Amino acid sequence: MAAPVFIIAASVSAELHQAMIEARGLALTAKNARALAVRAGSKTVGFRAITDFIEELASAIISQSRVINHHAEKLSTQAVTAWHSDNAMAHFRWVEAQKPEHLASIRPHINQCDKQLDALNHELQIGLRDLIGQIDESYKHIRTANLIATSSHVEAATAGDFREQLEVIADNIRKTADRIAAHLNRANSLLSQNHRERKIAC
Amino acid sequence: MLATVLYEDGDHRWIMFARDPGKPDGIIDTNQYLIQSGNEAILLDPGGIELFAPMLSSVLKYVPAEGITKLFASHQDPDIISSLGLWDQALPNAELYSPWLWESFIRHFGMNNITYKAIPDEGMTITLGRIQLQFIPAHYLHSSGNFHVWDAKAGILMSGDVGAALEEPGAPLWVDSMERHGPKMKKFHQRWMPSDAAKHDWIRRVSALDIKIMAPQHGRLFKPPHVADFLRWFEQLPVGVAIKG
Repeated sequence: MAAPVFIIAASVSAELHQAMIEARGLALTAKNARALAVRAGSKTVGFRAITDFIEELASAIISQSRVINHHAEKLSTQAVTAWHSDNAMAHFRWVEAQKPEHLASIRPHINQCDKQLDALNHELQIGLRDLIGQIDESYKHIRTANLIATSSHVEAATAGDFREQLEVIADNIRKTADRIAAHLNRANSLLSQNHRERKIAC
Repeated sequence: MLATVLYEDGDHRWIMFARDPGKPDGIIDTNQYLIQSGNEAILLDPGGIELFAPMLSSVLKYVPAEGITKLFASHQDPDIISSLGLWDQALPNAELYSPWLWESFIRHFGMNNITYKAIPDEGMTITLGRIQLQFIPAHYLHSSGNFHVWDAKAGILMSGDVGAALEEPGAPLWVDSMERHGPKMKKFHQRWMPSDAAKHDWIRRVSALDIKIMAPQHGRLFKPPHVADFLRWFEQLPVGVAIKG
């Protein structure tokens, strides 16, 4: 059975929260790289420029993750409201089948609930589509991180005594990018699965 | 859901809803009450989520939705009011009367439309159509913020968990012998009711009332002389027994 949307959205939010924590680690790596570049002086001029990119990248991932996290949380809350309305509609349908004498008196509220459910489902569809788009956007940052890691390795090769330390930093960038990508993949897979199942259900 | 008219005088009615044959196993059976007067009605302890649909269907046989202007929850338990989120969709203009103590807890059941009317500790009186209903303090019996409903005109006291018994399905509606019924209530009252002081305070209050029907939230109802029998039985019963030594 497909997981309800509020669980999917909350899980996506949790994945992005983890991605944000990883990006904070990337910001720390950038600070270490900067300190090292200062100590190494003229041998690491190229690397010093790269540290600016790393800092910018970390900051961009943190801010993007925060936006997606917030969006997913909001979506999860909306999905809970939709689930409540859906639940209420199921109960109302049962009551309608019993044909109680004053059924007509409850019809306006049933219609209102039905309308609200339609509107919520529509908003959820749009919200989920936006979320998928935002996660796709985040992959650009991962590609950038991998480019930076490659450039860092190249710069490290000419850094003499500091080569080993700069290579550790370059490896850190790549590993962090991989971990962030894993969180994005999991979020993406949750959303894609839900999207496919919704399509089949339609 | 079995509906029983307990009292009828013109447009003033008490209806009890209970013994739902479709109730899932493992859920405690509950008595729900509807009081009507004039164009208004109040649902007392409307019950849990699982009972919502049969309750709504039963209630709509007697009164249109717009006629149910008030709900009452004696306390915060799920068998009392966990259906609130659904009533909130069905009766968006209704008011919920419930202890002030539980407002921020009861709202967790979902309440976007219904208005919460907090009952102060000392209780209060409201007008329903052409009658007055009194919310009588029953704190610690068993909940720390707890009220019962007294309808002086009908002589009916809705006594929440006081007088409740957990019985097998198909049990009769009325208590016919305290000797036989007492053992069915004993454990429930001894374990669920924590305070002898609270018990005595409640007995003092309700002894002053001319009770023709005492209607608990679980099990059978009491008529005289069994109401007085119950008060005597309850008075001598030690409660709060889970505390050892």
